[in-house]
Amino acid sequence: MRLDPRTKLFMVFVVSAIVMMSATTTFLWVVRIGVTMVPIVLLISEKHYASAFRFLVLYGVALALLFGLLSEKSEGLLSALLLGYCSIVVQFLPAMITAWYVVRTTKIGEFVSAMQRMHIPDGITISLAVVMRFFPTIREEYASIRDAMKMRGVMLGGGNAAKMIEFRMIPLLFSCVNIGDELSAAAITRGLGGKVKRTSATELAMRAPDWLMVAAFTAAAVVFVVCKYVL
Amino acid sequence: MTEPLIEIANVSWRYKGSTADSLSDVSLTVPAGETLLLCGSSGSGKTSVIRLINGLIPHYYNGDFRGSVTVAGRNIAETELTDLAGTVGTVFQNPRSQFFSVDTDGEIVFGPENVGLPPEEIRRRKKQVTEEMHLSELLDRSLFELSGGEKQRIACASVAALLPEIILLDEPSSNLDWMAMENLREIIQLWKQQGKTVIVSEHRLWYLAGIIDRVLYLKKGKIAGEWSGVDFAKLSEEELQAMALRPTVADRKYAELFRDDPAENDETASPAEEAAEEDSIVLREYYFSYKKKPYIFRKHRFSEADGENLNLCIPKLVLPRGRVIAVVGRNGTGKSTFLRCLCGLEKDCTGVIEADGETYRGRKRIGFSYMVMQDVNHQLFTDSVEAEVLLSMKEKDSKRCLRILSRLGILPYKDVHPMALSGGQKQRVAIASAIAAGAELLLFDEPTSGLDYAHMVKVGKMLRELADSGSTVLVSTHDPELIALCCDTELVIRHGRAFYRAVPEIDANKN
Repeated sequence: MRLDPRTKLFMVFVVSAIVMMSATTTFLWVVRIGVTMVPIVLLISEKHYASAFRFLVLYGVALALLFGLLSEKSEGLLSALLLGYCSIVVQFLPAMITAWYVVRTTKIGEFVSAMQRMHIPDGITISLAVVMRFFPTIREEYASIRDAMKMRGVMLGGGNAAKMIEFRMIPLLFSCVNIGDELSAAAITRGLGGKVKRTSATELAMRAPDWLMVAAFTAAAVVFVVCKYVL
Repeated sequence: MTEPLIEIANVSWRYKGSTADSLSDVSLTVPAGETLLLCGSSGSGKTSVIRLINGLIPHYYNGDFRGSVTVAGRNIAETELTDLAGTVGTVFQNPRSQFFSVDTDGEIVFGPENVGLPPEEIRRRKKQVTEEMHLSELLDRSLFELSGGEKQRIACASVAALLPEIILLDEPSSNLDWMAMENLREIIQLWKQQGKTVIVSEHRLWYLAGIIDRVLYLKKGKIAGEWSGVDFAKLSEEELQAMALRPTVADRKYAELFRDDPAENDETASPAEEAAEEDSIVLREYYFSYKKKPYIFRKHRFSEADGENLNLCIPKLVLPRGRVIAVVGRNGTGKSTFLRCLCGLEKDCTGVIEADGETYRGRKRIGFSYMVMQDVNHQLFTDSVEAEVLLSMKEKDSKRCLRILSRLGILPYKDVHPMALSGGQKQRVAIASAIAAGAELLLFDEPTSGLDYAHMVKVGKMLRELADSGSTVLVSTHDPELIALCCDTELVIRHGRAFYRAVPEIDANKN
């Protein structure tokens, strides 16, 4: 099932809001866990089995530990560490999973198109698209620099922390600046930044699943706000 | 005669910060529908001419511009760059830096989206170029997982999707193998048939034979020669070499070097383990696969039993010392995997190197062998050439450092920042640090891609010298000229398996 990028952005927004509010009653916990399961199911539906499984296990284990093993009476360093760790995971992982789902399943074309439909200025949209495109480039460049360092045996910078960073950053900056320069020349020759309004080949439409998802997430947000601040 | 499509009149151009003119008083006209080749050594102004026509000069690059350029009736100096998008399309040298998207579909429609075409029209054009260029199997893929040749095909498609009258190609074959170059030739032929005006700037000339209408030779920013395509093909090898140009014909013997199946029906091919073993470096049990098997307690060790799953399968390989060995094979058959495993960059490859009765395993292999990467910028870390070489030495010995520098002819630059050097000089600095680290096995990953004839000859001579002074050199390459120039023997990699083959005698003036 493919969701509209706008729905996805809305989901990220709602989940981020929910993780900032702590669940105090069983009912709220159920809503929270329900909201977390949605992106996991969506990841499975988009065939990202491995990451869905990993998130599920991580979240499940943290939940089980938090409710099964730890209580107010727990003592000792290990319990304290575990409690801290599990609370953080349970509290913030839902937002991580949703963000992961959105990044992994949205093509840049769709994203740009969604931004245009929301009347975000081209300047902002294009900058964000370039950032997304640059991550894999930086990863590739960084990998070859690491290889070069391994071959030279300077991974640890001769024991000098400043050198360690210098050896990585200087070649990386050099190549990224060069790539960026060539990239913008290439983009301009293909008409980027012209006076004409950009169009998009991907036409987006909010379909039934989108509205369903928007409704469900709105409901979850309302439940949290009402239970925490109104009642 | 009708109005020429492109008219460059008395143009001089100097890049900002440069002391010499890149172009001085260049005039040329191109009629519609012509296929024009620009050739000449690096720095002769080929790229500047391309940039004049697509408007990057004077709009994107800063400098001193005189003269006038008219393209399709428009004065370039007064035209916005983005308004030229539907008229002039450019395929650049490096596919890595001309992509705007992450996926292939997004890249093809990027241009049409920019000029604001309606969505139906964009999809129609995408379908059209996909069919014309046979790209259907490349759609919906990540650009970062494509091979160099596939990337260049997508780059061509994304330019063609704007339906420009004029298509410029700036050294498009630099990162391509033999097969991909054939493919590029087909694409240029297609454009020619569609009546487009095509201008190619190129060092490798043989793949363009027969499809070029006119040739311009540039030297030091001036047009120094002009031929029809037919006359150009008749130039002798000596005449070409005098102009520092690479051969115009892919000699049948050259083609021989890249033939695909050396093993079955070739008497000169021999299994890799049969070479004489004395005074040589022996590699054993080099197995590697990119598909990692999941493991819990013990890591799976690759072995011959993994059979077809292996990306590299070399039970034993004998490398004769003091030779230059060309590593050839199509893109994606395991050449770079082989080099990476050989110098110990792939940890999961557990092969060993035996030399002089010693056995090098694991991380020790890194000290024994050293790879000079294609993008040598990644390998330079310090702020002076001397420091760069000293960094590689365990015991800092500045006398030895100076000796190495003078041997490689870069002693005058010992205090210069490596990034301020030219490409060839950077390459030498990387080699100097490899020698300083005591590496006996030097690996080169396509050192001549994108070089002109004169620079290629220089690299060839240097490889030869390295081998003559005792290093063993492995060089992966797609340049038949380089192999003919300096290689003793050829190692063919096919599906991760290695075979030796003698280099056919091509050039009488080999040394």
